Amino acid sequence: MAQAAAPTLTQNILREGLILSRTPDPAVMVIFGASGDLTARKLMPALYNLALNRYLPSGFSVIGVADTPLSEDDFRAHMTDAVQKFSRTQPVDRAVWQSVAEGISYVRMPFDDPDAYGRLAAELERMDRERGTNGNRVFYFATAPQFFPVIVERLGASGIARAGGGWKRVVIEKPFGHDLKSAKGLNQTIHSVFAEPQVYRIDHYLGKETVQNVLVFRFANGIFEPIWNRRYVDHVQITVAEDIGIERRGKYYESSGALRDIFQNHLLQLLSIAAMEPPPNFDADTVRDEKVKVLKSIHPVDVVNDVVRGQYGPGWVGGQQVPGYRQEANVSPNSTTETYVAVRLKIDNWRWADTPFYLRTGKRLPSRASEIAIQFKSAPHQPFAKTAIQGMTPNVLVMRIQPHEGASLKIAAKIPGPVMRLRTVNMDFFYGSSFMVESPDAYERLVLDCLLGDPTLFAREDEVERAWGLADTIEDGWAAQPGPDVPNYPAGTWGPEAADALIERDGRRWRRP
Amino acid sequence: MSSNHTELTVQTFVDVHAIQQELEQVRWGLQGDGELTEAAQHAANEARASVLNLIAVVANEAEKDAVIQVLDRLSVTNPSRTLILLAQHTKGADKLEAQVSAQDRTESGHRVTTERVILHAHGEPARHLASLVTPLLISDIPVVLWWPGGPQFDHPLFDDLCHLADRLVVDTDEGFAQADLRRLLEVARREHARASIGDLNWARLIAWRHVAAQCFDIPGVLDDLAGIHGVSIYHGGDGSTAQASLLGGWIRSRMATVGIEVPLEFRADDTFEHGICRFVIYTSGDDGPGRFSFTRLRGRRLSVEIRLGDQELARRTVRLEARPAEELLGIELTLPGHDVLFEEALAAALR
Repeated sequence: MAQAAAPTLTQNILREGLILSRTPDPAVMVIFGASGDLTARKLMPALYNLALNRYLPSGFSVIGVADTPLSEDDFRAHMTDAVQKFSRTQPVDRAVWQSVAEGISYVRMPFDDPDAYGRLAAELERMDRERGTNGNRVFYFATAPQFFPVIVERLGASGIARAGGGWKRVVIEKPFGHDLKSAKGLNQTIHSVFAEPQVYRIDHYLGKETVQNVLVFRFANGIFEPIWNRRYVDHVQITVAEDIGIERRGKYYESSGALRDIFQNHLLQLLSIAAMEPPPNFDADTVRDEKVKVLKSIHPVDVVNDVVRGQYGPGWVGGQQVPGYRQEANVSPNSTTETYVAVRLKIDNWRWADTPFYLRTGKRLPSRASEIAIQFKSAPHQPFAKTAIQGMTPNVLVMRIQPHEGASLKIAAKIPGPVMRLRTVNMDFFYGSSFMVESPDAYERLVLDCLLGDPTLFAREDEVERAWGLADTIEDGWAAQPGPDVPNYPAGTWGPEAADALIERDGRRWRRP
Repeated sequence: MSSNHTELTVQTFVDVHAIQQELEQVRWGLQGDGELTEAAQHAANEARASVLNLIAVVANEAEKDAVIQVLDRLSVTNPSRTLILLAQHTKGADKLEAQVSAQDRTESGHRVTTERVILHAHGEPARHLASLVTPLLISDIPVVLWWPGGPQFDHPLFDDLCHLADRLVVDTDEGFAQADLRRLLEVARREHARASIGDLNWARLIAWRHVAAQCFDIPGVLDDLAGIHGVSIYHGGDGSTAQASLLGGWIRSRMATVGIEVPLEFRADDTFEHGICRFVIYTSGDDGPGRFSFTRLRGRRLSVEIRLGDQELARRTVRLEARPAEELLGIELTLPGHDVLFEEALAAALR
């Protein structure tokens, strides 16, 4: 029987009903800084788990690039160890890992050696030829930030950034710059080789399931959005508290501090998500447009009155005696670097005018907690006797990012008995009690999104620059005035007294997360 | 896992109000006198979470025990109120017993309690168990009816329970012949007591569908899918063909959406006893004849091989999970509404 001419397919109809609408194109991920911790602890386990779930395309390949003297076999063995040690799923499926490992190679080279990029180009061409990767590349910068510009320049000069057809993307770890000027400079350098849609700036917080769940919580539940504004909300508290110190990062932290390490990225990301308008859809630019609008609407910060910094001294955390910041390794004994920041922000738009947002982050606080707390206004009128409502506090909705991911709503309830007495009780939803499945690691989600070309959960140029602009305003304000005597809070407390004063001046108090 | 699992209380009842009262007590942790038990005090510190009502119908005590084990493990990912019905209408004098218990799980780091009611009926009450089930369901959350074992379309409870349920989950790998598959499709499409259908056997096919679809994501290969002219499916020699039929029905129904009729060939392969062993898609395109082979290997793996013309385009090995029943059930429970893709595959398998 004569067969009719085959129709032209514009989409893979076998994909329907499967979790991903498509498999990423075959590509080579070039990891600069491949012998480092990030590759071993996060990237390679993420790639293995993606392969385990069949999310990686056939032919997907990795070229590790570093200046560490390793043979290709050494590097592969190192990656095998890393996956066995750090994969969230155990035991490691040898056959699946083998199929990933087959596509791994290693190029030893200094990042600034122009000639070495010729060898890298040759290796990439070999991958294209032998593994069908068609010129598709992800350049993953897992190096120290000072190498970002030189790698970008060399990728441009060597022609690798454009060679072989296919798409090219670049993934850049935080910190993206050190201040607005350096962030702009880095953006400029990157844009001399890569266009903005090719750039994926990672803030791994956005890859966390529970951060994404904040968006779902706000925009998929019709009951919250109508009260999510100045009319019903008294204020918002956003906390990223850590009970650990600076671990082995003394050198980095000395030049960073809490403002650059957490406030400029994680805290402002949480602020954007909590305060943004509902996006009309979940497209990358639509979501990021709304987040940037929040940053643009932040009222100029009065650094003297609206910002508090602190540094921890020796103290006790979790029953253990811990040293002060100045006693940590690679920290100057006279360091004034801040390990705590509290900021009061106002957002100048119709939704939030005159509603303060209190943001705080710190090291060596009593417990680890990341949360967004929406404190609602009191009921306009209480029909109950004064004695009945003593100790009552207004409703608070808390979205907990970590630990104990979920949400709590504080409400008033009657204490059983013959008289009317009220008490505040918590209504808790624990993410883990309804979805007790293990969540994928943030890097799995972000690497997959990058391979699929979806930048929604990555920071855009203007987002990063706005955030640095705000951090710079604070930094400049600090530079113009003498700092507090530090240390000004003992490890294991909730920060300096000045931070309490900052919020108490407004007749409010910090929550105990 | 068992160390994280505590049985809080078990009591036997015959009266629906007594069952309801006990359910309230185990749900909210109250003792009969309104006092909190020690376990309940602990429970009171954390929120309750129920994502669905799950009704399971079992044929005998042995099946009941097996189902309880599956549902215990399922409760880790889908905390629910579970009603297990052992309805033996052909057996002895009238009898109706109920056991109410609460299970306490802590795997997630939170204490999560789920309730279970086992209803055991003989004689006439066994025919009317649905009337007892209705008042025991938690309102406002979906009702899923899981009917393990072989086809039971003529069971006296079947229509009544389908009427209550938002979704009926079966396992067509449990001896469903073509005629049974046809009746299953009718349930999804009938006017009365219609429930959306889930099939654990369909969930088992996810890996096969996934790798097959992935092949045509490779740039330039999508055109070959338009040139599909045949599919061969090799299945184990034990005579069970429902899984192979569904896979064939799936590709046939997908291709029918663009007007392509796909001839299917089924063959028994005695090297495997059960399930699909091999699946081959034949195409023609600019690069010559294409052959996309997916072969099940020992050790839960799937070998994928793509040949276009005389060139091998790709070859790799991926994981083929042997998912336990609770995981398959969990997949089916996350699907909202009618699984149109499955129903179309089922219909195409029956053409």
